[in-house]
Amino acid sequence: MHPVLEVPSGRPRACFHFDGKPMVGVDGEMVSSALVANGIRTFSIHRRGSSPQGIFCANGQCSQCTVVIDGHPRKSCVTALRDGMDIRTLRHLPHLPPDDRSFGGSRVETRTCQVLVIGGGPSGLTASLELARLGISVLLVDDKDHLGGKLLLQTHKFFGSIEDCHAGTRGIDIARILENELRTRTKVQVLTNASVVGIFKDRKAGVLINGDSYLLVDFQGLILASGARERSLIFPGNDLPGVYGAGAFQTLLNRDLVAPAKRVFIVGSGNVGLIAAYHALQAGICVSGIADILPEPSGYKVHASKIKRMGVPIYLGHTILCAEGEGRVERISIAQVDSDFNPLLDTAKTFLVDTLLVAVGLTPADEFHDTASDFGFPVVKAGDAAEIAEASSAMFGGRMAALQVARRLGLSVAEEPSFHEKMEVLSARPGPLHKLPAPVIGDDFQPVIHCDQEIPCDPCTSVCPVHAIELEGSNRNILDLPRYLGGCTGCAMCIAVCPGLAITLVRRLDRQKALVVLAHEYIPTFAPGDAVPLVNREGALLQHGTVQKIRRNKKYGTWLIHVQVPLEDAGAIAGIRIQDPSLVAPTPRAIPDFIPENGILCRCERITVGEVLEHIRKFQVEDANDLKQIRVGMGACGGKTCSVLLPRVFAMAGVDWSRVTRGTLRPLSVEVPMKAIANEDQRP
Amino acid sequence: MHVHDVVVMGAGSIGQPIALELALRGLNVAIIDRLSAPGRGQNRAAIGGMRATHSDPAKIEICTRSLDIVKRMESEHGLPVDWFQGGYLYPAYDPHTEHVLKSLLTTQQEAGLDIAWVDAETIYELVPGIVRNGLRGGNYSPGDGSTSPLKLSLAYSLLCRRAGVSYHMEREITGFRLAEDRIVRIDTSRDSFSCGTIIDATGAGARTIGAMLGLDIPVFPESHEAGITEPARRFFQPMVVDIRPGPDSANYYFYQNKENQVVFCLTPDPAIPGTDQDCTSAFLPQVTSRMMGIYPRLRNLRVRRTWRGLYPMTPDGFPIVGPAGYPENLWLAVGMCGQGFMLGPGLGQIMADIIADGSTAHQEILGQLKLQRDFSGEEKLK
Repeated sequence: MHPVLEVPSGRPRACFHFDGKPMVGVDGEMVSSALVANGIRTFSIHRRGSSPQGIFCANGQCSQCTVVIDGHPRKSCVTALRDGMDIRTLRHLPHLPPDDRSFGGSRVETRTCQVLVIGGGPSGLTASLELARLGISVLLVDDKDHLGGKLLLQTHKFFGSIEDCHAGTRGIDIARILENELRTRTKVQVLTNASVVGIFKDRKAGVLINGDSYLLVDFQGLILASGARERSLIFPGNDLPGVYGAGAFQTLLNRDLVAPAKRVFIVGSGNVGLIAAYHALQAGICVSGIADILPEPSGYKVHASKIKRMGVPIYLGHTILCAEGEGRVERISIAQVDSDFNPLLDTAKTFLVDTLLVAVGLTPADEFHDTASDFGFPVVKAGDAAEIAEASSAMFGGRMAALQVARRLGLSVAEEPSFHEKMEVLSARPGPLHKLPAPVIGDDFQPVIHCDQEIPCDPCTSVCPVHAIELEGSNRNILDLPRYLGGCTGCAMCIAVCPGLAITLVRRLDRQKALVVLAHEYIPTFAPGDAVPLVNREGALLQHGTVQKIRRNKKYGTWLIHVQVPLEDAGAIAGIRIQDPSLVAPTPRAIPDFIPENGILCRCERITVGEVLEHIRKFQVEDANDLKQIRVGMGACGGKTCSVLLPRVFAMAGVDWSRVTRGTLRPLSVEVPMKAIANEDQRP
Repeated sequence: MHVHDVVVMGAGSIGQPIALELALRGLNVAIIDRLSAPGRGQNRAAIGGMRATHSDPAKIEICTRSLDIVKRMESEHGLPVDWFQGGYLYPAYDPHTEHVLKSLLTTQQEAGLDIAWVDAETIYELVPGIVRNGLRGGNYSPGDGSTSPLKLSLAYSLLCRRAGVSYHMEREITGFRLAEDRIVRIDTSRDSFSCGTIIDATGAGARTIGAMLGLDIPVFPESHEAGITEPARRFFQPMVVDIRPGPDSANYYFYQNKENQVVFCLTPDPAIPGTDQDCTSAFLPQVTSRMMGIYPRLRNLRVRRTWRGLYPMTPDGFPIVGPAGYPENLWLAVGMCGQGFMLGPGLGQIMADIIADGSTAHQEILGQLKLQRDFSGEEKLK
């Protein structure tokens, strides 16, 4: 059971075999999720070092989750499970099935559109809608089976403003709203399960559909709304099964409804890492901690505070040393860093966890942009492909990209200056912290606002039926902080809608006691009359309070917990701790086996950073393409995963990255079977 | 001003072996190249096939040496270059192809090459699953094979550095200073070089360099596209070359390299002149259907990457090798017509024999490949 997501019952089952063992999954779910749900962590055995490999990106990018399905190697994270599948661990190299039926003939399929939109996430959806509004024909392609992109993983309520970007609504619901609107537009054709595999010089895009057919798209303009991919991180053990990208973890958890872990540790305290912790806790997974090399959390402070209130320690100024275990993650170690970010090994702490989430940021998946603009095609980036930011700003970015590309196609389209301004606000970095005044608690309900950092967010002001909350500050936009004006009716809409769970409702009961209403996004494990641990804004334990009432706000899917507390703490109480910190303490003695050069740089070919450094030094490498000589970037992913790590690696080798010639990216971006390219007619 | 005995222009498939062999014979050699690393011109675009089984004496001699060098690279220098001796196979599915192939055999066998007509059964063993319907047999040369262009270039770089060759990268040639019919100075975008002997190994750029010297070097680049698949356990041995023409293409060929990836290439017809090296959408549908036409088993193999490289063509399809005549100290090793990778190692030895040792043993090769020929002949089999 999940506090936010509805787990559909009666989903059709699919029986399959894994390495000969019968297993059951859900028909149509991704094979990777079915395997994880059945406890499988090792998907392949790499030919270098016979090392076990697990799922890493769950996003069709990295190919580490390849298994052999009915004789064919396939990325399990983008292959739908079907009844009767024979799935096997890929051991070293696959055998090519001896399918010697004569060739059935080929067919080149071409489709024409004015604008090809790559990616059906928040920016791709809004871009397509805007283009359709302008009367421009659109082909929207997305490599997943449902539109929505990362919105589908976002069970939390959105920051931003209600008017502009559905703030306060959960991402999964926003995806549905946008898709429904899109499906009514005749100017828009949609292809799902479709990956753009290359942009070609003759102004065509190659699209692989359902893994088995190939379409050439003849376009005039291009919007690249292909999102971002997660940054990898180099440390020993970084390719052990159980090390995932945080986004991959969210995919398994929130899209596919499988819990891939019992205890996780998270590297990175940006919004992605913080939200991953929150999602893990919602799924009943213990979060042992979050480490960040920086001295402050990188994400919104309201997120970080929320996570701390739930009982997750955040280790600032700490780096990951290593992940270790027999064939999978069993323990991880972190250590404090010095001022040069080097680990201080005597500060090492070891945690017994089965999963390590890497949440060290995202990189735009924008390589087609460079190709297309080198070829001189009108191309505009939108969403994370343009700039890593919240989905709320991506929705504006999409609309702006649509106007831009329309203009580049020669249409006279007026600028919409407000779009730009709104997008800037929505993608603003968190601003300064403010000290909040201590509230004076009266006999009537009033909101106590624990929102102390300037972030682009305003739902609390919009939902209040009596307009008792307004934004106040120097920005004069939604970055300003909310302030209570008086007149609260106690309806609790503001606390139910707040994405940061940063508002409580408080009322004095008598001279000693007060009532506090808290937003709670976990399935309550307590009942009225029970005592619950209450914490202040930053998670410090204040009191145990007695639960009076448990309600659920259906519209926002949030529980509202009424707790009776001593009056003097009422204004400070900000949440209920749901994880006891003693359960997530490090082991008494740290036991890291830290050999930094063993970290894997190129996951596809399993090349360690040590091997790469040696090559760079030995051959005085100043051209990233030269790393192909030791097969870095020659694997299935084509360097998509490791290329972003190269600046650091060259720096480690003492080579100034600005002098290094960048690696060349060539099509195809995804491997395509020959029969698909030829659209082979295989009728018997 | 850098002063050297020899300056080699071009750090590619041809330039590096020549530089190495000259340095090994005691000369002070520099390589200059416009790109940032050796082998980043057309070496990186080579598909890796290496054969001695040509149909003219010069290329037979040069490539026989190349194979000998490459086969010994790992045992002699400890440098892995992924040599795989899978042979070359030319299957014939029609009487015309059979006739063409068989007519080549005489010259090749007379030259001592290990190549023979084999029957369909033998072909099926070499390439299990190849279409048997209509297969008449084919020419097969078991001693040929393939090697990794990236690794061979890397090996040459390392050997060159060890032998004292100095590399001067990211230098565009901007001009030459001549005195008494000799080049006395080479100017680049960054600095100048003076040397006794200059070797032009600039491949597709030869015509531009020639123009700076008032020379007409007839090298006209064309482009071919190529691709590589995912690896799969070895399922066939040789380079398969189908010489039949198809729609919009001439021959095509594919092989499984040492990394077990299938590498493939197609010769467009009509040829695509120019130096554009960006991929087109036409190539993959074209080449995959031709390959599956004779080898349907490939249908499930996934294509990983494609690229486009240049064939620096000459009017008769043969390289231009030898002294330019004018300027007196300029030597040419250009216009390899897409075979520079397999010609390079052997050519390095032969050029060094002539330039450093004054050998007269290679007069026949120089005679065939000299700039001062009429270019009216035609390569029998590319």
